[in-house]
Amino acid sequence: MNVISNNNIKCTIALAALENVVDPEIGLNVVDLGLIYVVNFDEANKKINAAMTLTTQFCPMGESIIAAVKRVLENTFAGEEVLLELIFDPPWTNERISEEGKQFLNR
Amino acid sequence: MLAGLNKDTLVKSTTHKVVLPFYLYAAISLLAATVMLCFSAEAFTRHYFHPHILAVTHIMALGWGTMMILGASHQLVPVLIEHSLYSNKLAYTSFLLAATGIPLLAYGFYVFDMGWPAKWGGRLILLSILSYVINLLISISKSNGKNVHAIFILTASIWLFLTAFLGLALVYNFTFPYLPKETLQYLPLHAHAGVVGWFLLLVMGVGSRLIPMFLISKYSNKYLLWVIYVLVNGGLLSFLGLFLYFPGSTYHLFPVLTVLIAFVLFGHYCLRSYNLRIRRQVDEQMKISLLSVLLMLLPFVFLVSITGWLLSDKLNTQLVLIYGFIIFFGWITLIIFGMTFKTLPFIIWNKVYHAKAGLGKTPNPKNLFNNRVFIIMTMSYLAGFILFITGIYLADVFVLTFAAVILIVAALLYNWNVFKVMLHKAKIK
Repeated sequence: MNVISNNNIKCTIALAALENVVDPEIGLNVVDLGLIYVVNFDEANKKINAAMTLTTQFCPMGESIIAAVKRVLENTFAGEEVLLELIFDPPWTNERISEEGKQFLNR
Repeated sequence: MLAGLNKDTLVKSTTHKVVLPFYLYAAISLLAATVMLCFSAEAFTRHYFHPHILAVTHIMALGWGTMMILGASHQLVPVLIEHSLYSNKLAYTSFLLAATGIPLLAYGFYVFDMGWPAKWGGRLILLSILSYVINLLISISKSNGKNVHAIFILTASIWLFLTAFLGLALVYNFTFPYLPKETLQYLPLHAHAGVVGWFLLLVMGVGSRLIPMFLISKYSNKYLLWVIYVLVNGGLLSFLGLFLYFPGSTYHLFPVLTVLIAFVLFGHYCLRSYNLRIRRQVDEQMKISLLSVLLMLLPFVFLVSITGWLLSDKLNTQLVLIYGFIIFFGWITLIIFGMTFKTLPFIIWNKVYHAKAGLGKTPNPKNLFNNRVFIIMTMSYLAGFILFITGIYLADVFVLTFAAVILIVAALLYNWNVFKVMLHKAKIK
């Protein structure tokens, strides 16, 4: 999984939770789709600094997907503030889809 | 509120409040057109310039095709031009003007009263289109990405305006003849500016963006799209020149061939997108959309035949009727069938689940409508469509009426599914 993090254990928990957030059009979750770029944990300040992208900057479902990612992180790590950044550099490409994701789309 | 999120990077999509009235109006228009078809079956055994045929054609072209495409394009403009829609108020204005103008115009044609109903209908429709063009123009001028898709949609909307302008001029020509030729002679120009300039150009511009997007295709070819753009517009402009300065010459085949080449290239673009797709499964709505691309070929066959007949001065009116029927009830309708259930469920899903995203398992947008009803609707529609063409060919009122009844059933099923999506209530597991 091509996700940057400073805490592998907590990142695994975060990504497992984020597998429940599905792109409604594609039917694939945001983790296997490769939309999550960064999940860093600021233990001292109880903050999660995350960065994600969308398949296109003009995705009509974008706001819903972002809101879901933020809400899932907040629910999974109760008491920690989630700072979610939406970035398009580097842009999302098909290459970011995981092997599981490719298998799902190839069904 | 999304803390820490740079929201400037996300282009805001158009609110459902703008888009849904267009969809609703279009769905009801389809039903109205099929009912009118049933009660006007006898007209389809006569000349195509018949009041009832004019009324049905304009309900299909404006109430069904244009209203649906305007609705979808308000939703898709941010995706196509890479910028939010400039004004929701202009979009509402556009809807209200067209929604009032279309029945007036259709009524004017139906009773063939070219007085105030047709004139006011035409004026309101023209103003509606003007609102849309202004909205689009300002939205594009504010965007950074002047891409090929944006240029397609803007040019298409200008052709729509010119089509409506010529249409209104023709309505006036009935009561105050001022044009050098008879109104009937301008119909090919009016019809093709609308069909090729508005519908075809728009379908190509929007389709070339959405087909690869929905298929998650690796294919992209901007150069090919520019070539298609030049060919379609070049074909249409050359048709205009030939119509004005060389009427009845064999050169009329030139624009037909130019647009045909553009169509073949667009078919190639779609095929490459399909072959290079990552997503193997293709849903029924995408299949219908791709089928409608293939169905574009049929009007070309008829157009070449009609041009041949025209050049020999022996115009076959049945051929013209079938040609028009294939365009409005075939090609455009199939595109809209596919597009409705590809876009409407997402608009409603966003409306219903936006604030609930991440709280639990939500249904998939494609589960918001009944796919079995969609397939039955498509099958019954295709049966009615083929039967109606047979009826025109045989000039048989019974066959035409029976086919129209099947088309009414299909339109009812379409409306049922549209209402099912629109009335969806949140279900979270």
